Amino acid sequence: MLAGFLTLIGCQLLGEFIQRALGLPLPGPVIGMLLLFIGLCIRGDVPKDLETGSQRLIELLPMLLMAPAAGVFFLGAGFADQWPAFIAAVTLGTISTMIFCGLLLRFLHGRNNRA
Amino acid sequence: MNELIRSPLFAIVLTLLAYQGALFLYTRSGRVAMLHPTISGAVLIALALVLLQQDYQDYYQKINWLTFLLGPATVALAVPLYRQLHLLRNMAGPLLITVCTGAVFASTSALIIAWLFGANRDTLLSLTTKSITTPIAITVTQDLGGITTIAVASVILTGVVGITTITWLFNKLDIQDDRLWGFCLGLAAHAIGTSRAFERSPVAGAFSSLALCLTGAFTAIVVPFAARWFL
Repeated sequence: MLAGFLTLIGCQLLGEFIQRALGLPLPGPVIGMLLLFIGLCIRGDVPKDLETGSQRLIELLPMLLMAPAAGVFFLGAGFADQWPAFIAAVTLGTISTMIFCGLLLRFLHGRNNRA
Repeated sequence: MNELIRSPLFAIVLTLLAYQGALFLYTRSGRVAMLHPTISGAVLIALALVLLQQDYQDYYQKINWLTFLLGPATVALAVPLYRQLHLLRNMAGPLLITVCTGAVFASTSALIIAWLFGANRDTLLSLTTKSITTPIAITVTQDLGGITTIAVASVILTGVVGITTITWLFNKLDIQDDRLWGFCLGLAAHAIGTSRAFERSPVAGAFSSLALCLTGAFTAIVVPFAARWFL
């Protein structure tokens, strides 16, 4: 499992390096993920260590996001008059985005299958 | 006593405890979306900080090695993605079209609604990245001159809205295909949506991870240019 973890942070480091070297707008971890993905495609299978290591981390995602999420409650007084617009934009925007994507993808996918 | 409460050890115990408590509430309630560990855990942490009169920024600093794990966890998403590659191949066209239009839709719908409700310029700038995962959102917002805390808050709240409404919404629309379900959730609600999608099935999780990466990449590249033109 530790070897798997090393692969993950190694990819992240490489991703951070590429991001700085080329001045890309994408963050290092995302570049790292693409690198690992390409690596797995070339290798053709997933090493056991990497499999367990990544599974553990993905299971922990809800916990890792919990602390940043708590920050919503501590935005401060300066933001008070922005709350209605903020809440409306986030809730209505997200719900309409999911409806839009769901219908679009179903339409495109259905058309693909018939063709 | 007080210095013990302010120690990193206390902060980490509080975090793990809040997570266990949240997990307990969530499974006991029969997985009610509103009680998802990310949401209920955040409420528990906020409550504890207020009761103990601790500063949020202080607390966040102390557990930053834990949030550091978000980096390798993002890299780890490549594994389920690779595992589901065979499923993705025959859907590549529809998925790519949906990402490009869906990501634009996510940003503009939020901006138009916020503008109608009279949001100021800072709030608008911070809302453009609401549908992409936190680390990308932070980098892009800083670049645009938005406010990072609001950007993070909008990302988190978007995830919360996504996971609390998707089941009901997609039952109404009669979309039950795990691939579509996961992809739309990952596109609209990034990492929080993805962690929820993995609960549904590995297939939903993989499609959600894919949507998360593609939306993140697309938005990170397009938003900075678009914002310079329009704002």
